[in-house]
Amino acid sequence: MSIVQLHHIRKVYDTKVAVEDLSFTIEPGTMFGLLGPNGSGKTSSIRMMIGITVPDSGSVSLFDRPFTRSVLGRVGYLPEERGLYKKMNVLDQLTFLGQLHGLTASVASRRATLWCDRLDIAEAIPKKTEDLSKGMQQKIQFIAALLHDPDLILMDEPFSGLDPVNAFLLMSTLVDLCSTGKAVIFSTHRMDQVEKFCKSIALIHRGHLILSGSMREVKSGYPRNRILIHFEGDDAFLQHPSIESLSRYNGHAEIRLRPSPTLADDAQSLLTQAIRHARVTRFEVMEPTLEEIFIEKVQQTLPVKNGKLSMAQLEKSDGGELDA
Amino acid sequence: MHNVWLIARREYIERICTRGFLITTVMIPLIMGGLIFGSAFINSKSVSTAHIAVVSSDTQLALDLQSELQPRQGTPSSQPTPARRPRLTVDAMDIDPQDGQATRTLLNRQLESGDLDGYLWITPAASPSRRPAFTFIPRSSEQDSLRSTLAAALGTVLMREQLAHRGIVAADADAMLQPVDIRAADLPLRQDHESAVVGVFILFFLMYMVIMLYGMNVARSIIEEKSSRIFEVMLATIRPEEMMAGKILGVGSVGLTQVGIWLSAALLLSAGSGAAHPAGQGIHVALTAAQIVYFFVYFILGYAFYSSIAAGLGAMTNSEQELQQLNLFLFLPLIVCFATLMNVLTYPDSTMARVLALIPPFTPLLMYLRVSLGHPAHWEIFASIALTSASIYAIVWVTSRIYRVGVLMYGKRPNLPELLRWLKYS
Repeated sequence: MSIVQLHHIRKVYDTKVAVEDLSFTIEPGTMFGLLGPNGSGKTSSIRMMIGITVPDSGSVSLFDRPFTRSVLGRVGYLPEERGLYKKMNVLDQLTFLGQLHGLTASVASRRATLWCDRLDIAEAIPKKTEDLSKGMQQKIQFIAALLHDPDLILMDEPFSGLDPVNAFLLMSTLVDLCSTGKAVIFSTHRMDQVEKFCKSIALIHRGHLILSGSMREVKSGYPRNRILIHFEGDDAFLQHPSIESLSRYNGHAEIRLRPSPTLADDAQSLLTQAIRHARVTRFEVMEPTLEEIFIEKVQQTLPVKNGKLSMAQLEKSDGGELDA
Repeated sequence: MHNVWLIARREYIERICTRGFLITTVMIPLIMGGLIFGSAFINSKSVSTAHIAVVSSDTQLALDLQSELQPRQGTPSSQPTPARRPRLTVDAMDIDPQDGQATRTLLNRQLESGDLDGYLWITPAASPSRRPAFTFIPRSSEQDSLRSTLAAALGTVLMREQLAHRGIVAADADAMLQPVDIRAADLPLRQDHESAVVGVFILFFLMYMVIMLYGMNVARSIIEEKSSRIFEVMLATIRPEEMMAGKILGVGSVGLTQVGIWLSAALLLSAGSGAAHPAGQGIHVALTAAQIVYFFVYFILGYAFYSSIAAGLGAMTNSEQELQQLNLFLFLPLIVCFATLMNVLTYPDSTMARVLALIPPFTPLLMYLRVSLGHPAHWEIFASIALTSASIYAIVWVTSRIYRVGVLMYGKRPNLPELLRWLKYS
């Protein structure tokens, strides 16, 4: 049983290819991260999953059946572009949106109140939406997507513009929902957010799927060759032969080791050297971050001019936001 | 259907509860009533006066004309006095018009200074069998309308002179020249045609205004929702067609409510005052039940027609400024209706009126006029409703497609080829 199944979907807007040959499957109880820089086709993919737009070719299946609008009652969607009726008060607004999802007015308003309590915005209930802060409006919108207890939750950039406390609150809410068997998909261009929570990911760039699978699979394909070291004193150990490249910062360095079958031993030998010359306060052997993996993958598939590519460049190369 | 109802209800409640609704509900009848009573009042009170001079070598002719144009109190003029004829002050001048250069200069100076509104220059005929030549020199084009008054008076004067020549006594001549008076007898069917026209005209104006106002409201609220980006949330649960239908129905019901309030207030008022209605003002609104029923039928057709166009325009644009550039599509047909209004009002069964009333954009307003004041055949009424309904269906088909794509398009306004491409998406 799979909640979402995309089968070679493709979407072209005029001359711009938004999504090209994208396939992946999402199982129940999965927290799925859809990653990519701005304009990579995340929003287009999500819109196709719920029939706001229709793929030019390929197929979308939800809950093991080809997509029909009748399943939309089981889907909760938080769009990237937030929008609420400004003049309506929060309770009326949530009740109205709940009713559109097939709830009765009384059930919708009861659940809305419960959710507002849960997300710490009970005091906003009688207020008009336009009087609320942006973060609060975002929480309201978040609730609107969950009110009808959907089995599939789609969130397009759910944490953008939220402070860390609130972002964590929403994230842990999603984790809770996930543990009750619901599938959560969220898109983000902040890769660090995903690492902690997501069970599976898909990385897309310019509409192409670059990488997908469970977080463990993705990471296990990469050696633990990153070292973070905080130290005081002599830095002569940084000449160690197993170091491929490094970035020096004030009081610490980020090191990448040369690929070798004896990677773990190389790291130990580096540490021994360091202790001999300097006072080490922190030493950590790490897997590459998702962001590094992503950049590496993109570099493999694209010709790159300056050798090294940053996220900022990736975003720029796409020429801005693709809204439609 | 349930979703359409939910959206329509939300739209309705939100609009009814605004202060704007209350204000327009109260203010528009006040303004319209004020305009109508005001113009009637001004018409009845203002009597224009004009001072003219008659220059002739034939003193008798000049004096006769003077007394014809400027009836003394008590002696009724043989001329029927039209209601809006200006009251004239006439100077008869006995100067040889053959050689009156000095007089001419003097009169022209008086024209310029405003002492005189015009003068009639009578050049004597070359032979007695011929008529003299008349030239009227008005101060400005405003006084040019006096010409017809002068011509009528001159006709009478010359006629009387001719009669006198043939030996008819002055009293007999006056009796012969007495104008015929046709009294307007009450028509058995339309008891009060004048007031029917007034009532129909008020309803016509109401329909025009409400269609325009609420059509624009539909477009504006779509733009508003587009800029607040609420669409995407909605589109994840319901179809764009349902959204559009809900919106048009919701806003339209607000318009109907408003018109309903106005009409029932008007009916209550006229029932309450009853016979004591100030008929002296010349304004009395008489409407039959059929006229009111047809009003609602054509109002709903017109509203559906124009608001679905407006919905399409709203979906295509991103801001009110952009909408204003496209407003022409909405206003042009309505303006054409207004331009032909007088003609249709006077000749509701003319060929032009019959043809125009069958063209869907004009049907709601013009067919309504014809039904109320003219005698359209049954098939014409039926055809007008059928044609308009069919074109509403076509427009909704097109706009719902524009809507579906357009509401998710931000950024630049689409051009025609893009719009045609939108129609292919679905």
